[in-house]
Amino acid sequence: MENSTIRKSKVWSPEKIDEIQEKAELGRYRIRGQATKRQDLPSFDDLVFTPAGLSRVALEGYREKCDTRVVIGEGRVKRPLVLETPIMVAGMSFGAINSNAKKALGIAATRCGISTCTGDGGMHPVEREASEKLVYQLLPSRYGLNPYDLKRADAVEIVVSQGAKPGTGGTLLGQKVSEEVANMRDLPLGVDQRSPCRHPDWMGPDDLGVKIDQIRIATNYEVPIFIKIGAGRVYDDTKLAAKAGADAIVIDGMEGGTAASPEIQLDHTGIPTIAAVVEAAEALHEIGMKDEIKLIIGGGISNGADAAKAIALGADVVYIGTAMLVALNCNKSIYVEDYKALGTEPSACHHCHTGKCPVGIATQDPALMARLDPDEAADRVENYMNSLTMEMQIFARSCGKSRVVDLDPTDLRSLTWNTSMITGVPIVGMGTTRNPYWADYHHATGQHEFVAK
Amino acid sequence: MESVKDQLVINSNETSQEKLNELIVDAAKKGIKEVVIKHPQARHNLGVGITDPIHLVYEGDVGYYACSMSDHISAEVHGNAGWAIGENLMSGEIVVEGNAASSTAASMRGGTVVVKGSSGARTGIGLKGGTLIIGGNVGYMTGFMMQKGKMIICGNAGKALGDSMYAGTIYIAGDIAELGNGAEIVDLPKAEYEEIKHTLESYGMKAPASFKKIVCNGLLHNFNKKEFGVWKTVL
Ligand SMILES: Cc1cc2nc3c(=O)[nH]c(=O)nc-3n(C[C@H](O)[C@H](O)[C@H](O)COP(=O)(O)O)c2cc1C
Ligand code: SF4
Repeated sequence: MENSTIRKSKVWSPEKIDEIQEKAELGRYRIRGQATKRQDLPSFDDLVFTPAGLSRVALEGYREKCDTRVVIGEGRVKRPLVLETPIMVAGMSFGAINSNAKKALGIAATRCGISTCTGDGGMHPVEREASEKLVYQLLPSRYGLNPYDLKRADAVEIVVSQGAKPGTGGTLLGQKVSEEVANMRDLPLGVDQRSPCRHPDWMGPDDLGVKIDQIRIATNYEVPIFIKIGAGRVYDDTKLAAKAGADAIVIDGMEGGTAASPEIQLDHTGIPTIAAVVEAAEALHEIGMKDEIKLIIGGGISNGADAAKAIALGADVVYIGTAMLVALNCNKSIYVEDYKALGTEPSACHHCHTGKCPVGIATQDPALMARLDPDEAADRVENYMNSLTMEMQIFARSCGKSRVVDLDPTDLRSLTWNTSMITGVPIVGMGTTRNPYWADYHHATGQHEFVAK
Repeated sequence: MESVKDQLVINSNETSQEKLNELIVDAAKKGIKEVVIKHPQARHNLGVGITDPIHLVYEGDVGYYACSMSDHISAEVHGNAGWAIGENLMSGEIVVEGNAASSTAASMRGGTVVVKGSSGARTGIGLKGGTLIIGGNVGYMTGFMMQKGKMIICGNAGKALGDSMYAGTIYIAGDIAELGNGAEIVDLPKAEYEEIKHTLESYGMKAPASFKKIVCNGLLHNFNKKEFGVWKTVL
């Protein structure tokens, strides 16, 4: 029969058809948690390390000391932030995740000598107690912001935007605005909270400089101040953030996670983390502040290889959100029936926005929360953090570096042209760096002459 | 700098921003009742993050963020104020004799801020509590995303008044260039008018003959596809 072959369309893929029909039902764009699911982004996997051989000597693999410590704000503030390993737990709001998750992350981070971050929605006392080093976010929404918590913080992070949804503010759908969340944020119970994206009291980089002065005074010049920006116009934004007076700049790539965002924005705004780190490092280098101002990079960092490559490209620290939740149990194959009830399955869940997290992380429902034991979860997160540190050290040692921070772009080669162009890292093989021995082959006077050489 | 019993006088001309704040914080800690700041010269961040009770007297104009991020303070500004005076104030009272620039009392959480003149764009933006009183007019986006608290405006308002407010109340005597999305005008009970009048008089201000009361109409609280006319501009 004519036209009997079943052919799938690239344009009208099952996902596209689903999307249209879902919007036809919803009457608005799709909202979901997690990150972009684009398959075509350049990533750290496109790079490989070029370990020591004869031209350079490796450090003793599993033994020789390899330093991981980073200090933020040294020489700039009275109480710099010391991180024992170049990892920070990214800001995830109380509201997006619950106090059990906050507690587990805080305990693990404290044991590893690193920081957690309040995220939006104010400082939860459970997190302050669990986390020895706590970064306090100052966002356009200003939920729960007060001078006492500001003075209790170990660093302050002024959020301009997030990588997942640059150009919009936070979203917390009504089902997650519980009584405690509503009280902390001064919101009516159960409203769909859609926060502003512009700060209420400053507009541009010059005003931001005055704002930073204000926070410095309010915190008695004690703690470092970060500026967090979703990766877009990274090169210019980094320079302006440095000029405004930040001690550290957080650049969050488009792969960055979220608890709720318009899906269309996850997929179509911002630039990938690997491109962002290079632009930001270059901007700081150009203004001679690469050493003084620390560069923190987030967005899709999942293992020690991603982290070490980001550092080699110029980051000082990596910021991790989603992977920490995964270590807590996010997307684990337990309570499978509950994933099914949400219309998903373990490893494909992005339903943080529903407030019905099957594993008890992104929910304020007490029955679901009980599924996350903070002490057990803290052990898992601690183990994961330690594995990241060890993996980063593997690359540093094998490249002959006694400090992870000494990794640099010359330790890398690119597997793809794309990533080579984006990062400036030479492609593997002889590539553009040197002519291979057969470069003359085709335009040599003759093949036999070539052989005779 | 001279110290008279319960009063400390600082000449802002001769004192760095950092030192000036240190002196105020110290004075408040020591229980000194009043600090007079001479020649403030519209400098920024004069009196920030103060959490012990103290009365501040600014003998002139102040720049950005005066009396911001503070608790339990009271202040009089004998001049005009720059951006975001009283930003994130927790409790206390600030009175500005002149005009204020933009973002007056942004995200204020408690206390009272009074501007006897006019105030610019984003006045009372993200208000989370307390009372904000403006003797004159207010600019664009006043009361944007207001969450709690009360605003009394004796003059006119620019566009987008009360846009996307979650809750709280705005009282306005003059004209409204355009009411914001999600805000609506409701009847003003007589008792509330009397209360406004009484409040204004307590600051030596004359109450206009009538006020309109603006509250949140709730349409933006939870998404409803049937209300797309309201939602299309805010999603
Ligand atoms: C559940 C969740 C909640 C988040 N909440 C916030 C927030 O409140 N403020 C913020 O600046 N970023 C927030 N983020 C973004 C993170 O701070 C960080 O930028 C991002 O997670 C980094 O990318 P990654 O998830 O791939 O590690 C959140 C992310 C997640 C996954
Ligand atoms: S398992 Fe929970 S935290 Fe993970 S994506 Fe699903 S809802 Fe979000």
